[in-house]
Amino acid sequence: MSDRDDLRHDAHNPHTHDESPVDNGELRDAAGHSIKDQSRSLPIPPTDDIIADGGRTLWGDAWYRLRKNKLAIAGLVWVIFVILVTLTADLWVKPYFGDPLAMDTTLGANLQPPSADHIMGTDKLGRDVFARVVYGARISLTVGVIAVAISVAIGLIMGALSGYFGGFLDTLIMRGADVFLAFPYVLFAIALIAVLGPSYRNVFIAIGILGWPSIARVFRSSILSVKENEYIDAAKAMGAGHLRMIFRHIMPNAVAPIIVYGTMSIGGAIITEAALSFLGMGVQPPTPSWGLMLSDARPLMVRAPWLMLWPGFAILTTVLAFVLMGDGLRDALDVKMKD
Amino acid sequence: MLKYLIRRVLQMIPVFLGVTMLLFILRAPGVLPGDPVRMITGERAISDTLRAQIVEEYGLDRPLPEQYVLYLGNLAKGDLGDSFQKSRPVVDILADKFPNTVKLALAAIVIEVIIGISAGIISAVKQYSLADVLTTLSTSILVAIPVFWLGMMLQLFFGILLKRWTGDTIYLPISGMTSNRFPDWAHMILPAITLASVSTAYVARIMRSQMLEALGQDYIRTAEAKGLSRRAVIWRHAMKNAMIPVVTFIGIDLGAMMAGAILTETIFNWPGVGYEIFVAIGQRDWPVVMGGVIFIVFAVMIVNLLVDLSYAVLDPRIRYGGAAE
Amino acid sequence: MSTLLEVRNLKTHFHTRDGVVKAVDGVNFNLEPGKTLAVVGESGSGKSVTALSIMRLIPKTTGVIGTDSDILFKGESVLGMDDAGVRSIRGNRIAMIFQDPMTSLNPVYRVGRQIGESLILHKGLKKKEADERAVELLDMVGIPHAGERAKDYPHQFSGGMRQRAMIAMALACDPDILIADEPTTALDVTIQAQILELMIELQERTGTAIIMITHDLGVVADMANEVMVMYAGKQIEYGTAEDVFYRPLHPYTWGLLESLPRHDVSEKGILLPITGQPPSLINVPSGCAFHPRCPYAKDVCRTQVPQLTSIEDGHSSACLFSGDPGFRRETASPSREVV
Repeated sequence: MSDRDDLRHDAHNPHTHDESPVDNGELRDAAGHSIKDQSRSLPIPPTDDIIADGGRTLWGDAWYRLRKNKLAIAGLVWVIFVILVTLTADLWVKPYFGDPLAMDTTLGANLQPPSADHIMGTDKLGRDVFARVVYGARISLTVGVIAVAISVAIGLIMGALSGYFGGFLDTLIMRGADVFLAFPYVLFAIALIAVLGPSYRNVFIAIGILGWPSIARVFRSSILSVKENEYIDAAKAMGAGHLRMIFRHIMPNAVAPIIVYGTMSIGGAIITEAALSFLGMGVQPPTPSWGLMLSDARPLMVRAPWLMLWPGFAILTTVLAFVLMGDGLRDALDVKMKD
Repeated sequence: MLKYLIRRVLQMIPVFLGVTMLLFILRAPGVLPGDPVRMITGERAISDTLRAQIVEEYGLDRPLPEQYVLYLGNLAKGDLGDSFQKSRPVVDILADKFPNTVKLALAAIVIEVIIGISAGIISAVKQYSLADVLTTLSTSILVAIPVFWLGMMLQLFFGILLKRWTGDTIYLPISGMTSNRFPDWAHMILPAITLASVSTAYVARIMRSQMLEALGQDYIRTAEAKGLSRRAVIWRHAMKNAMIPVVTFIGIDLGAMMAGAILTETIFNWPGVGYEIFVAIGQRDWPVVMGGVIFIVFAVMIVNLLVDLSYAVLDPRIRYGGAAE
Repeated sequence: MSTLLEVRNLKTHFHTRDGVVKAVDGVNFNLEPGKTLAVVGESGSGKSVTALSIMRLIPKTTGVIGTDSDILFKGESVLGMDDAGVRSIRGNRIAMIFQDPMTSLNPVYRVGRQIGESLILHKGLKKKEADERAVELLDMVGIPHAGERAKDYPHQFSGGMRQRAMIAMALACDPDILIADEPTTALDVTIQAQILELMIELQERTGTAIIMITHDLGVVADMANEVMVMYAGKQIEYGTAEDVFYRPLHPYTWGLLESLPRHDVSEKGILLPITGQPPSLINVPSGCAFHPRCPYAKDVCRTQVPQLTSIEDGHSSACLFSGDPGFRRETASPSREVV
């Protein structure tokens, strides 16, 4: 026998294609490549840099990560600021700044540029723009929150029915979701409001109804993934009923993606409300809505350009704040949303 | 591939039907609060005889399923009702204006593709550079901007302020499709940019993340090990993979663009379908509003189907099924 | 016969925000034409980085090759070449195949085209000629119906076939050296053997030198002329295959050989994995990097860094005690009975 055959004979071993026995706990990427040996991307130091520290809950951990994300915190701060401003508006806007509904028809009182009396100027009916912007925030936030709340409520129910019971109900609901998703956002709202009549209340119904498919899908996939888990079987074995199952075991897991999605949806809802009001399908005058204010400002673009700046900025900053918050929440809660 | 195509078309059908059903429910009597007759005649008061006539003509007192079938039949014939303001069939009005909307949408897509994809590639290839940071920043903001406000700002700046500052010499048209001062295509600039803006931001972001992901794949390493230049690796190997989701997005986004078209056309007085709908809202001309919505929805669905089908051409994994042996 | 490849004091360090990762820290070896060198070690031992350094595929953003290192290919310094020079060597004179054939081929291009790419690039072939040659190459690596298969896409190939295609791609330009980075690890056991057979056969036919990177000693036994064992970025043993297998000098090598399941052992032997974790390449243990896991470590091992010293003719080891003739182990004895 040649040396080579000896070697082959003695040392050849039927390995599986898993790691050799000497590998233990090594950092590998999804393709099985040792991360250390790879020089393609920025190398991760071989020691674990996630220090296990005892007792951090999911939420504590998430809060920690959220805090580190400056943009998300900025968004959160702005949102809280806006909320506070609108909640307390009655206390300080009317006495010190002006009444959003108070028209001033004296000559020259309207279309004033920003001044000491009216820090954002006055509109075509002599009303204080600043006051209208603040009260407009109330409308926008209310619509945003309520509309999303409606979407979430419908979405949770649909998603729960779909995911938990599966089968034909699942297919039916998911096809229904597809139908709703086939509608470009604003169009459906327009159609619905055309039927119901333009009003403040109908706006959040319209937006709310449109938003359920995404929430339902996200919730459904949470349910599906949890359903497979063993602890559900264990709970079943203990005789837990359907409802209990949903609330106790499934909800906590599913909550995270819904929080993320809900937050981001509020931003979208605010823009949609503004768009609808702009088109005349939403809030009706004289109620101050940012969208309405923009629409009013259009014909006055040459004479009073500042009128369109304030509401626009307001929309931009508020929506951006929600988007950043949503982004930050998604990273912090480490949610991977595939739908 | 044929299997894929047939499957997609079949999948569309229930969705199609579902959409029509939903739209039907909206205007069907008794389902929602509101008077269906008003949807046909508008806000003015009408005599009882006229009301009875309309109920008869449109079959509003027949059982719902029968009405639905009638409705479907009308849709198939292309009958969307009549505008009472203009006394013309809705579908004629829309068909007249539709080409303008298409022109605008195409211009917007061209902008979206060129700028969005380039920005995405550049910021992926030169990660963390100034170009990348700027792109990321601007796309984040663009996503949050209301499209109509952006349009108004562009109008203000390029149409009014610029005109003022340059003494009436340099500025862009901000209204309508034609004018004496400017060539026709110049009128498309601002509206197309506005319409494209949000989509461009998304395209740039998706392209960037897809390129980054593609560049991190093993086959890139293989290509480099073969001695290909960096440029060849990026353009030939990474791009084709990264493009697939981007193209998908552009197709899907068409729907959002149609919605945005309403707002953009309104602002720039661009005589397309969206503008008609806006005007009709102001006049409470509901048949036009509903008809317009239906029209756009169907246009979007057809485009989505076409995009789906073209996907098969791009991705060989779909074209040729699974592994052999 | 002039030396094909000379690697002198190769040091490849990565500068990360957590510190300097010393992936390769002083490696020396020569490769003669037509020979096979096996580079053996755990994940993170630096074997892949060594190969990538030879091809200069280390990312420039974080990776630095030491200024006193050099790599000479046919007498010319690879490290001193400009980019164009290096690219003319890659895929042409030195070719590389990687671990995971599933992900190493571009899914959107046909296999034949990917094989032909280097022919067009380096040999100036026209597309048609390259396509024909690609078919010949596919045939050479044992893929049936090569003509039709060349027009397929990677996802239509099975794992083993893909690796064969990779080999065809690497050998297209008739390179002097083929570097194979764990070519069989991701494959099924039966396919592994086939691929290795193929490589041996091709080497006999074309006379290509091979650097085989693996953690699987069975592979080494089949193919290698010389073996280099790496640990924590350093060479700790070097010699002919027979030397390293039958007369291993370094305790780590003993551990590797002993931890192999043996299919020729009838009684139930106990598998002895090497205890402990592979070391961090940022904070390499002081003295001998292996000392924390070495059952024979003494105090001096903690302070003194052992150099790779020649113990016997052509057989070197980096252990302070290898010079002591009593410090030996017989692992695979040729007289062992075969069951």
